Amino acid sequence: MMAKRILVLGGTGYIGPHLVEHALSRGHTVTLFNRGKTQPGLFPKVEKLLGDRDVPGGHDALKGRTWDVVYDLPTGKPKWIVDAAAVLTGRVGQYVFVSSTAAYRDFTASFPTEEFPTQDPAPMEGPDAASAQYGPRKVRCELLVKAAYPIATIVRPGLIVGPGDLTDRFTYWPVRIEKGGEILAPGALDDPAQWIDVRDLTEWMVRLGENGVGGTFNAVGPRTVCGIGELLYGIKACYSNDARFTWVPQPFLTQQKVRSWAEMPVWSYTGATTVAFCTSVIDKAKAAGLTFRTLEDTVRSAMAWYHTRPAAEQEKLRAGISPEREREVLAAWHAQQGGGR
Amino acid sequence: MTTQSSAQPKPLRILILGGTGFIGPHQVEYALSRGHKVTLFNRGKTNPGLFPKVEKLIGDRNAPDGYKALKGRTWDVVIDNPTQIPRWVREAGAALKDSAGRYVFVSTLSAFANRKAIGMKEDGPLHEPAAPDAEPPKAAYGPLKVRCEMDAQAIWGDRTLIVRPGLIVGPGDLTDRFSYWPIRVEQGGEMLAPGTPDDPVAFIDQRDLTEFMIRLCEQQASGPYNVVGPRSTLTIAEMLYGCKAVTTSNVRFTWVDADFVLEQKLRPYADLPVWMPPRGNSEGWARMDCSKAKNAGLTFRPLADTARDTLTYYHAQTPERQAALKAGLAPEREKEVLAAWHAKMGG
Repeated sequence: MMAKRILVLGGTGYIGPHLVEHALSRGHTVTLFNRGKTQPGLFPKVEKLLGDRDVPGGHDALKGRTWDVVYDLPTGKPKWIVDAAAVLTGRVGQYVFVSSTAAYRDFTASFPTEEFPTQDPAPMEGPDAASAQYGPRKVRCELLVKAAYPIATIVRPGLIVGPGDLTDRFTYWPVRIEKGGEILAPGALDDPAQWIDVRDLTEWMVRLGENGVGGTFNAVGPRTVCGIGELLYGIKACYSNDARFTWVPQPFLTQQKVRSWAEMPVWSYTGATTVAFCTSVIDKAKAAGLTFRTLEDTVRSAMAWYHTRPAAEQEKLRAGISPEREREVLAAWHAQQGGGR
Repeated sequence: MTTQSSAQPKPLRILILGGTGFIGPHQVEYALSRGHKVTLFNRGKTNPGLFPKVEKLIGDRNAPDGYKALKGRTWDVVIDNPTQIPRWVREAGAALKDSAGRYVFVSTLSAFANRKAIGMKEDGPLHEPAAPDAEPPKAAYGPLKVRCEMDAQAIWGDRTLIVRPGLIVGPGDLTDRFSYWPIRVEQGGEMLAPGTPDDPVAFIDQRDLTEFMIRLCEQQASGPYNVVGPRSTLTIAEMLYGCKAVTTSNVRFTWVDADFVLEQKLRPYADLPVWMPPRGNSEGWARMDCSKAKNAGLTFRPLADTARDTLTYYHAQTPERQAALKAGLAPEREKEVLAAWHAKMGG
């Protein structure tokens, strides 16, 4: 394998450090480009170029340089792609852009492949440009990337989980299961669930760069079609406590205004407005070398990181139903079932 | 919890009869780590290189005067790991009752006559004991263990500690009953999963069992203890997905109901080990009560540890051993039953 010269736009947020670390461990040369504001002490030995992509001339620090592969991690603004391309087109071989499953037009459709229809791209200018939604902006960015570079690699992850995840959507479950007791479990065992360990995602992205692979890829896991039962039972296996699940059917949850994805994260069901995020078809990514850690590894690593966070953050998760609300819904369910427990 | 303290307990002089088989080695290691002094008594044939620094006394319990190596010595505790022969219990008692403080007998939950009741406690009805001179394989396992318990108590009185484990599993298990599941899960593809996802299962990691036994000795406990895990009810689906969680397998489970399993002449607990349909006379099998043991400090490893370590042990075995599992469905038979099931369910 030839060592690559890699430019990472961003690189200090959630998935960036994982990607940089893996790229370095593979012997590549990495340059970071960012504002120098987030975790400026990270990777002291790595070259850093400073710039603010929101200001005119913000990409100037990249001028006159060449790289084999650019990783654009955080971009949701089409203008950033345009401004970067003005400086980088003709000077980089491959541009890897992190898009999203939210690029698809219909989130209620199950099993999206990469060929599924996408959202109408956000306008570049005019009154609607600023207010455009996340999905349409990602679609516009994808188009711009494809037009600007000889090899364009578009990665569409779903829920990215593991050490460093600040959304708590995956984390909710191991945290809840670690506490034990009766747990509200959503829907049915086989209702779809998908996620990808941030390390599996970034290691694979590095390999895509090493192999010069272009194209568009759904990028989630696990390896095989997965139900929420597999996730919850797998997490339970990592603990030894009195955790027990009460499976409450989806219609009752809907009636109780308990939403998939927000209060019951990771979980979705047929026809839900989140089902595309939990059923993406990943054959193409697997054929291009995407691999998967064990669920146990993801759980243990995510939780090891979680336990290093400040107590207040550990207390107040950003996703998942609150303890009080969980108790209420369970009580309502038992009451409907005729007789509490 | 009274026994969780990490403070070093008063050192005991422990004599272990056997000690080199499945549950012995971890028991010895744990006892040593707790500061106890261990002596092994066995034929010197199984794993003779184990524990080079531990005192070993040689004797064959089937030979005349087989216990003579124990003469003139004293111990605080004798742990009798491998016995289901009542004669051995009586002979060990005769050889040691005046020179050892306490006798620990490894019995079994199969000692209970009744597997129907849910939440069977230690004082539940046992099998009729086998005849005093009964021996395996002629006499059944449960009645033999009951005879052993009785004979032990007749000799040692309130100095008798009896542990009654359920299915003992984990690294080192030669029966492959639990091991079949993580091994099969790891192989991937479509896999027969028996019964309904909520059927309860129960087993105990050999390390949880043996650590608990040593701590019971430290507490000078006596009488019977049911010893089975996990901490709270575990379902067969939780077990299978728990096994999957330690692999990167592409396995997918096809649940085949109990009636069809029996119709196909598959034997619960053998062809489909660990699992027993929770009905009829087996309704309570996976739901015996071990609150007494939990209150006395029985702890439980996470299922992930048991499954992962079982796989690690399995992969360290010879290819011949790996290919010759002693429990579980043969691959061809599994395929046949799955095909029959799909045919029945309409293709």
